Amino acid sequence: MRAELLARWTVLGLIAALAVAALLGLVGQSPRGTVAVGDAAELEVSAPTRLRGGVFFQARFTVDARAPVERPTLVLDPGWLESMHINTIEPAPTEEASRDGDLALTFSPLEPGDRLVVYMQFQVNPTNVGRRSADVGLYDGETLITSVERTVTVFP
Amino acid sequence: MDIVLRAFFAFVFVILVTRVIGRRELSSLEPFDLILLIVLGDLIQQGVTQSDYSFTGLVLAGGTFALLSVGVSYLVFRFRRVRPLFEPEPLILVEDGKLIERNLRRERLTVEEVAAAARLQQIPSLAEVRWAVLETGGKISFIPRSRG
Repeated sequence: MRAELLARWTVLGLIAALAVAALLGLVGQSPRGTVAVGDAAELEVSAPTRLRGGVFFQARFTVDARAPVERPTLVLDPGWLESMHINTIEPAPTEEASRDGDLALTFSPLEPGDRLVVYMQFQVNPTNVGRRSADVGLYDGETLITSVERTVTVFP
Repeated sequence: MDIVLRAFFAFVFVILVTRVIGRRELSSLEPFDLILLIVLGDLIQQGVTQSDYSFTGLVLAGGTFALLSVGVSYLVFRFRRVRPLFEPEPLILVEDGKLIERNLRRERLTVEEVAAAARLQQIPSLAEVRWAVLETGGKISFIPRSRG
């Protein structure tokens, strides 16, 4: 009887701990911002780093140009795309390409002081589980300006 | 975070709805009431989990409901004043063979329905009832007048 009561409270305690972890944003969907500064531009990435199968989420990439950038290009690691649905990219890139297995999105030229904000809307494939690299590089054509290191974890 | 909050508000909404619907519908479960409850459950599920198909989401939403359910039962057990918020008080429908119309109206019960419930308990007439009480769960209990 005492053991049963102990087991019951233990399970309830675990559930409560998980609910608190969720309230603190530890099991998904809360966006996290990462900033990287280069000579020609600053890059900020805001997106969740923890996700669950099926959920919709937004990634926002903000580029603030400090010098002319002829071919601003965002290069996304496969973690952004593996078993993810991309519902939309706004504004649409002028060019899309695969660059050594990464996705390269090129946009219109930027002048100093210009700001480029790219919104991408995703949905997680329910079978997508695990932790992957989700780095983002900002290039001027083929020249790296700056990059941010991120990972994305998808809970089962 | 939001799935736990959605589950919390859905739980509060379910408590409100069950208190508003009334005991009769919840206990009788006529075909319409049954379908209504199933549809309501489906709508609540959509509101809580939305597009989340994950096992983690299931544990979070289900766990939040379980925790709130334990919390409510503890509050009801521990604090007498809280009870009416979650559980309606038993309601007297018949006293010494006389119907208490006000209480019948309050629960949208007809005389025929009370009489039918009495017959199911082998009481042929409401005149033979000392007390008929609509219990918290929606069932009507009858205490017959002592014979002889």
